[in-house]
Amino acid sequence: MGVLDGRVACITGGTRGIGLAIAKDFLNEGASVVVNGRDEAKAERTLAELGAGDRAAYIPGDVKQREVCEAIVDGTVERFGRIDILVPNAGGSSGNAPVAELTDEAMQDTMVWNFWHTFWTMRRAFHYMIPQQWGRVISISSVEGKVGKPGLSVYVVSKHAINGLTKSAAHEVGTLGITVNALCPGAIETDTMMEQGPPAAESMGLTYDGLLDMFAQESAIKRLNDVEDCAAVATLLASDAGAGITGSLISIDGGTAPY
Amino acid sequence: MGKLDGKVACITGGTRSIGRAMAEAFIAEGGKVVVNGRDEAKGQQCLDEMGAGDNAAFFAGDATKQDAVEGLIDFTIERYGQLDICCLNSGGVNMTAPVAQMSDEEWQLELDWNLNHVFWGMRRALQHMIPRESGRVIVTSSVEGKLGKPGIPGYSATKHAVNGLVKAAAQEVGTLGITVNAILPGLVETDILRATGPDSAVAMGLGSYENLIDVFTSESAIKRPNKVEEVAAVAVLLASDAARNMTGCMFPVDGGTMPY
Repeated sequence: MGVLDGRVACITGGTRGIGLAIAKDFLNEGASVVVNGRDEAKAERTLAELGAGDRAAYIPGDVKQREVCEAIVDGTVERFGRIDILVPNAGGSSGNAPVAELTDEAMQDTMVWNFWHTFWTMRRAFHYMIPQQWGRVISISSVEGKVGKPGLSVYVVSKHAINGLTKSAAHEVGTLGITVNALCPGAIETDTMMEQGPPAAESMGLTYDGLLDMFAQESAIKRLNDVEDCAAVATLLASDAGAGITGSLISIDGGTAPY
Repeated sequence: MGKLDGKVACITGGTRSIGRAMAEAFIAEGGKVVVNGRDEAKGQQCLDEMGAGDNAAFFAGDATKQDAVEGLIDFTIERYGQLDICCLNSGGVNMTAPVAQMSDEEWQLELDWNLNHVFWGMRRALQHMIPRESGRVIVTSSVEGKLGKPGIPGYSATKHAVNGLVKAAAQEVGTLGITVNAILPGLVETDILRATGPDSAVAMGLGSYENLIDVFTSESAIKRPNKVEEVAAVAVLLASDAARNMTGCMFPVDGGTMPY
């Protein structure tokens, strides 16, 4: 018997990295899970790897579009009859540069990717969660949702915005059996990090290895975090035992964030 | 298979309420636990009720006293051969008052109970954990470790202080396989709160115990007190291997009360 028996979860960007680790944990605890991603081939590999049969499904789409975000939530309900747990997990950044050189397009793109997608999916999920008086929203923020780094303002701004949304929404639905929390992981060397890390490092005047080393050195554990760290906390928050935790910005960063 | 198979824990103030819930949750996950409290009879009752046989033991002692706190750590290691998880959970106030009326005796009691006990226990535990390069220290702090309320200045000051201690210690032992974290519960209706809450309510200008409960719960998003089981679930997570990379964390269990 798992702590998520009978629950239905929807994870954006769930075909790899943090989202995939959360999907695995949720499935192990008895939930049904929808994962989302842009690449059909990756999704097929993911579903095969999950090996969860009818309890796992894939909904394709790019979360930078509102219609897609809403369709992912609606599709979860169509597939499994309800949505109990939403994990807006997709995200990243592009066009990183110091503010003085930053383009409108870079700020806009990252805000849509990280913040607007979280808002669009959360709003849609609330339409289902509020009537059923049960729900969990677990947004994937970042240590950069609590602190700032030069050259990464687009990412920092979007993650701070997610944290603000989390706190406000938590108070709106706090008496309705719905919790809203954000995970704030430190740096993790996911596929996304490997893709986006090198240009981000360049905007900070660092090499990619230098960037990873800087994140590790800022922590108490002097190493990067793992995707499994996030999955363990997400499962707790999603479970009945997490009912008393809301509006929280949980640091999973090896002791990096100052608060 | 439990998340804490083979792990040994000690818990100050473990016979009742939050500490007791932690003890039961740890045992359910395969751990062995030494619970501490002042009262031998309550200790025995706790062991009887938990029914964990050799997997649980009681150590009598007052958590405001250094020899008792250090004695608990030493007893645990003697009893079970090691200490993996040190929960410094005991705490509270006796006759709290606004700063202008606070007595030296109450102030010292709160310092010893909420801050010094955590330091004494943490230091002793780390001396055992550092050579083993493995361990978990879990401190029961409070939402008042980030906020402040009139009439409970000592509680607020000491809980802020333990948060600072947790953050500093986490940095000291971060590369040694040891994590140091604090759980920050919102209001939980514990036995201690029921015993001292009416006096605290008066000191806080709230009149009655019921008003005190109302004020705390109205500040949360969930508009209810938290539950001991909710705190215990977080303790299990922090104690488990899955949380090896979480340290220096102020983990809220407060229904959305704290602003940060």
